[in-house]
Amino acid sequence: MNRNVLIIGIVIVAAIVFVLFAGLGKDPQHIDSPLIGRPAPPFTLRAVGTGQTVDLESLRGKPVIVNFWATWCGPCFEEHPTLVANARNLPNVQFVGIVFNDTDDKIMRFLAERGSAYPTLLDANGKTAIAYGVGGVPETFFINPAGKIVAKFEGPLSTELLQENLEKALR
Amino acid sequence: MIATLFLLALMQIKAPDAEQFVGPPQGTPLAGAQLERRAMEISSEIRCPVCQGLAIGDSPSQMAANMKEQVRELLARGYTENQILSYFEKSYGQFVLLKPKFQGVNAFVWILPVLALAAGFVLVITKAKKLEAAPAKIAAATDEAADDDPYLTRVREMVEKP
Repeated sequence: MNRNVLIIGIVIVAAIVFVLFAGLGKDPQHIDSPLIGRPAPPFTLRAVGTGQTVDLESLRGKPVIVNFWATWCGPCFEEHPTLVANARNLPNVQFVGIVFNDTDDKIMRFLAERGSAYPTLLDANGKTAIAYGVGGVPETFFINPAGKIVAKFEGPLSTELLQENLEKALR
Repeated sequence: MIATLFLLALMQIKAPDAEQFVGPPQGTPLAGAQLERRAMEISSEIRCPVCQGLAIGDSPSQMAANMKEQVRELLARGYTENQILSYFEKSYGQFVLLKPKFQGVNAFVWILPVLALAAGFVLVITKAKKLEAAPAKIAAATDEAADDDPYLTRVREMVEKP
């Protein structure tokens, strides 16, 4: 009986250790997006500053990088120069910023201070962010020329990470 | 002129719609107190993606407020609970459902507690049976031991001597 108790104990402890090792290495906020490989949810949103609308469908034919961000998000400050620099260096790639839970004047001030190289759209009620399964900002989606989401990145992008994910959209 | 352009832009704004994910509404549009009650119930089944294990109904975050508003709007348009949960699942994955589905690895979440309960029940019954049998064994063993003990034999002889 004692041997049986020992074996059961070892099995239980091994299972707990396995779960802890498997779980502790992961970011608890990371969400595997079910949208990868699926058509990007279409949207038509108003660009901050110009007042014009941008329709995602109209951008078909070239890779699109959709970056969700907000002026109240610290890592977005860190990421912004990378996105602006890459948007200037990659004219064949369409960059689109989508800001949610924010106001026009704050976004305008942010862009005036830190530069802008692509349309920044306002997702006033957060519906677009929900449709894309956005958990926190910044989050970036890479869409191929056919309009399919090929990659999602959570957190601030570096040029290396941006190019690594963009390659998936160019295949 | 600017105001006109702004109004025109507002009219053209179109966020992604649940219909693209789960088709047209399959239920009855809700309103008033019933709408609020169902919105609260469904909001308690959806995980807030920016919180630690909180339902959107319990979270004070703006993200959860947006999601709650979306639930309310979908109910008002006649979407069913299954359609609403399916819509959020299609964007966020099963992570967003606080009650995991009985499929794949998630099935263990439902099966393991029942198995653990059954194993515990079997263990308790087995132990109880052994404990029931134990006093008789102990008594028999004590009697045998008493017969072999020379000290007790001597005491018995002294007591039994007339």
